[in-house]
Amino acid sequence: MSRSVWKGPFVDAYVLKKAEKARESGRNEVIKIWSRRSTILPQFVGLTFGVYNGQKHITVNVTEDMIGQKFGEYSPTRTYYGHAADKKSKRK
Amino acid sequence: MTEKLCLGAIAGAFGVRGEVRLKSFCAHPEDVAAYGALSTEDNSRSFEITLGRQIKSGFAARLSGVLTKEQADALKGARLYVDRANLPEPEDDEYYHADLIGLEVFDTGGARLGAVRAVQDHGAGDLLEIHGPNLKTTVLLPFTLACVPTVDLAAGRIVADPPEGLFPDDTPEQERQGDG
Repeated sequence: MSRSVWKGPFVDAYVLKKAEKARESGRNEVIKIWSRRSTILPQFVGLTFGVYNGQKHITVNVTEDMIGQKFGEYSPTRTYYGHAADKKSKRK
Repeated sequence: MTEKLCLGAIAGAFGVRGEVRLKSFCAHPEDVAAYGALSTEDNSRSFEITLGRQIKSGFAARLSGVLTKEQADALKGARLYVDRANLPEPEDDEYYHADLIGLEVFDTGGARLGAVRAVQDHGAGDLLEIHGPNLKTTVLLPFTLACVPTVDLAAGRIVADPPEGLFPDDTPEQERQGDG
């Protein structure tokens, strides 16, 4: 069953507090969080979080299309390297 | 820069007519046959590849010079490589992962942070996994213009401007708060 709309999205209070503090300071810093269950809110866009995966903090740059997802979705708990082969990356 | 790239591997014979099961490691699996002949790791053999239909673990493929099931079976486990020079040049500000892996990473002040071990993408943009002598675990640096202003492949170095707290030395004192 999906979450009732009247409750609003779930976010751990300390995540909101840290994000607000980081936004006010205006510094480019990684906000370390352990709350994988928190929903990504519009006010997090542009911030960089370090989402704990049980071992270390995985860097997550929040963008608009991530709103509504949970932080844990972007911080995998298992390691898989694969092969570089012909894979490419573009700087954005 | 890596000179040879592993694009695939042979998982065994497929059927009894000399076809092989070919696993592709490419971004688009069908590109395994797009860069010309592939060779074995020791360069002792080279194969032209004709892809057949897609099967569970890759492709049913025909390799030049492999005509029987026995010959196909003998190649089980072989990895197939291509020369880096055979790959097309990437676009502006686009880099092959193979070119990035192994580059030395320096901060804007010139201090060495480590070297790139892998490039990962967990859905939130590409990340350079950096391993250094002073790091207990690897660090994931976003591969963005802001965090990685300079990539110099010729010199084998990257200049990084990491966000505060990413590397352990500049981690501000943060306490874990109320993670219920």
